[in-house]
Amino acid sequence: MNATAAIVLSRLSSERRGLTLACVAAAVVGFLAPRGLAGPAFFCGLCGIGLALAGGPGRRPHLDACERSAPLFGRQLARAKATVPCVAAAIALLCYELGAAAGGVAPLWWSVVAALASVTATTLVALCATIRSGSSRALYLALAAMTTATAYALASSLPVAFELAFCAAAAFLALRQYGEALARYDPV
Amino acid sequence: MGYLLKMCEARFVAGRPPAGPFTLRVCDRERVAAVFGNARDASIAAMLAAAIVKAGEGSVLIDEFDPRVQPVHCKRVVAFVPHDPLPLEETDFRRYIAYRAALWGIDGMRALAHAQLLIERLEGVHEAFAYPIAGALIASPKLLVLDRPAAAYARCILAAAGPRAVFSTHETSAAARAFALAAELVPA
Repeated sequence: MNATAAIVLSRLSSERRGLTLACVAAAVVGFLAPRGLAGPAFFCGLCGIGLALAGGPGRRPHLDACERSAPLFGRQLARAKATVPCVAAAIALLCYELGAAAGGVAPLWWSVVAALASVTATTLVALCATIRSGSSRALYLALAAMTTATAYALASSLPVAFELAFCAAAAFLALRQYGEALARYDPV
Repeated sequence: MGYLLKMCEARFVAGRPPAGPFTLRVCDRERVAAVFGNARDASIAAMLAAAIVKAGEGSVLIDEFDPRVQPVHCKRVVAFVPHDPLPLEETDFRRYIAYRAALWGIDGMRALAHAQLLIERLEGVHEAFAYPIAGALIASPKLLVLDRPAAAYARCILAAAGPRAVFSTHETSAAARAFALAAELVPA
């Protein structure tokens, strides 16, 4: 097992209660409102924001201390920590689609891909809020909500490739921003 | 004699209020128990010594590496044990050691065997405190940094640390004296 896998598995394990709650809620919402992109994009995006905030600094101090004292490069630590809420949000999306399938609506591949892209970008933007406080934290949370809304607007009015390109750009910028902020972050 | 840790007028200025200045030296195989005015200063000094936070003023050198330039090299030299106990409800011994081994890039089976030997030496120390010490020592660091360790466990901790240098921070002179006495009873 490498360091990235260890961080992802330990963080997911420590967040298992929140993840279970998000998965159950996503499955129920998927069962009740199975049609279209709005449900998975907005609800699972909200789950991604919640899971990103739940894994912020100070929530699991023993994991924070181990990761910060380990001989890892900043970018490796940032990538590993960013993977955690993205994987958790993707699992919630999977539960949503399973709930929708149980409700009698077979998922459309483009809808699943568009929702996954939107949820990942939203989660990564929300992750930037976890290492900030005050107005900049609120700004990043607003940006995360705007990312979902923009992705949904693009997917519902233009070919899905435009939404994927927007989400890829937003996710890339958010991950870079998170890595740089994490490198400067002081845990005191 | 070369210094493993050299702090010269080191101040942590990112936090409010700033902490320091701290001046101290730790040689190879030396045990240093330092008393600080309060818990925050003791914690920051330990984190400066473990390259977790960086000095804004003055200098810190860890085995001749500057944490501001080469933090990863510094973290290969030092192992950090936080003050707070490990939440045992979130992990167990095998998982914790596998996680620590993965973060430090050590073979998991060898790390587990090493950790079991260390746990035998830490007999009498509560698991919540013993596991982080064993987890820190499996990487065979040159310097063990302890953030406000429990004075009652001083002898066991120094026995487990073996011949390596130990730097511990304390809030009270009584706790530091317990470590100094234990260092005389358990020579490096």
